[in-house]
Amino acid sequence: MKLFVLKLLALLFISFGTLHASAAPVSAESMSAHQEETYQTKPFSEMVGGFLKSTGVNAILNPDPNEVGAHGEEMSDFHKSWGRVLMILVTFLLFYLAIKKGFEPLLLLPIAFGGLLANIPVANIAGAHGFLGVIYNMGLSNEMFPILIFMGVGAMTDFGPLLSNPKTALLGGAAQFGIFGTLVGAVALSQMGFVDFTLQQASAISIIGGADGPTSIFIATKLAPELLGAIAVASYSYMAMVPIIQPPIMKALTTDAERKIKMTTLRHVSRLEKLVFPVMVLVLAIAVLPASTPLIGAFMFGNFLKESGVVERLNDTLQNALINTVTIFLGLGVGSKLAANEFLVPDTMFIMALGIVAFSVGTASGVIMAKIMNLFPGHKVNPLIGSAGVSAVPMAARVSNKVGMEYDRTNMLLMHAMGPNVAGVIGSAVAAGVLISLFQ
Amino acid sequence: METNLVIEGFKFMGLGMGTVFLFLIILIVMMNFMSTIVNKFFPEPQPNETTRANTQNKNKKVVAAVTAAIKHHRS
Repeated sequence: MKLFVLKLLALLFISFGTLHASAAPVSAESMSAHQEETYQTKPFSEMVGGFLKSTGVNAILNPDPNEVGAHGEEMSDFHKSWGRVLMILVTFLLFYLAIKKGFEPLLLLPIAFGGLLANIPVANIAGAHGFLGVIYNMGLSNEMFPILIFMGVGAMTDFGPLLSNPKTALLGGAAQFGIFGTLVGAVALSQMGFVDFTLQQASAISIIGGADGPTSIFIATKLAPELLGAIAVASYSYMAMVPIIQPPIMKALTTDAERKIKMTTLRHVSRLEKLVFPVMVLVLAIAVLPASTPLIGAFMFGNFLKESGVVERLNDTLQNALINTVTIFLGLGVGSKLAANEFLVPDTMFIMALGIVAFSVGTASGVIMAKIMNLFPGHKVNPLIGSAGVSAVPMAARVSNKVGMEYDRTNMLLMHAMGPNVAGVIGSAVAAGVLISLFQ
Repeated sequence: METNLVIEGFKFMGLGMGTVFLFLIILIVMMNFMSTIVNKFFPEPQPNETTRANTQNKNKKVVAAVTAAIKHHRS
């Protein structure tokens, strides 16, 4: 052993002495010599002590001063120690909500578990080389996963109810007021000095009002990636709470007579109409707002495959295998943003508060829009379907149906509410396009 | 001069809601137009009247049965 090291040193000496020696072999040799030297036999007690220092308990009790966050940023001692414990408890709460309360478990469970993994000390799973970090960089930082989800959602969407009663699309438009109303609210809050949101951050938060998970994630990664975790969690948990948030607002804004309005039966929509529709929307998007075409294009691609009726296999993959696979990755990737140093900040609280305001304003403006439409001649619209203008397909439509049935058992609003519901998806994609185009 | 963010917010709102409504109103017009064209020039072959009436009757029966079942369940 000693002989070998001595030989190496002699070689080094010679190569330093030689004028023509190149630099590369020198560094390689000195490296290997260094590696030989670092491993020394240690007494067992020291080994145990070293191992104990690498445990999670020690990492939480004595935060490592040199540790940095997933993106190389400074972390406070709180975020390295008890903040992590607190976040792990938060993910347990999310587990409870997803499993016991049925809050959008398909996404909330992967998100929560990703959050749990992201808060593990030492392992650095959410870092650039941890698997959560890899997933994040693979499909979230470049906005890929939300787009893929949109394809699957497109393949699951039936535009029939909208095509048979086109004017209900206005309800889906009105509900986007939730987005822009909240935008004003968020910038007003920062103007008053409560928080410090930039216009980009405020826009990313307000898109929660569109009640559209993939759109929220798309916009958040584009405009304010640092807020992604909070925005996604707010967005999905409020979407899950649609049946709790919406009915009181709907009931407060309508009279008994309005809630009992019966709508005319939907006419039959031919296959050709359904086939032309996605292309038509895309052409319109190209003409009016190309910035919205990534979202609308993916959405309409999925829908076009479905309505074409000749690619059943692709349609099936989009609706099932692809969307399920991407949902797992999307959830875990978003979960990586639940690391304590990114989530346990005062901003999160404001995002949660603004999110619920966005939802409520969207619901209310949809209902009010339906009432305005009833002032004009023509077939009356039951204002209860206005609330379905917030996307949240098909939850919001089901809520309209349920509230309608409470007042008149024979009043089936489900299919009528699907019209504004899918128009809401288009509406929030357009709103997202406007926000993107404003910041380009 | 410090930029007033709230005024910026309202500008965003005006432009955003304007675009959303413009988009959807054009879409409504196009949908109506497209449906007229499609139904006029490419009508779907209609199933003949008797089968239609039959299925409607069946549907009514199903609805009646379901309603009765629900009533029974709730009472």
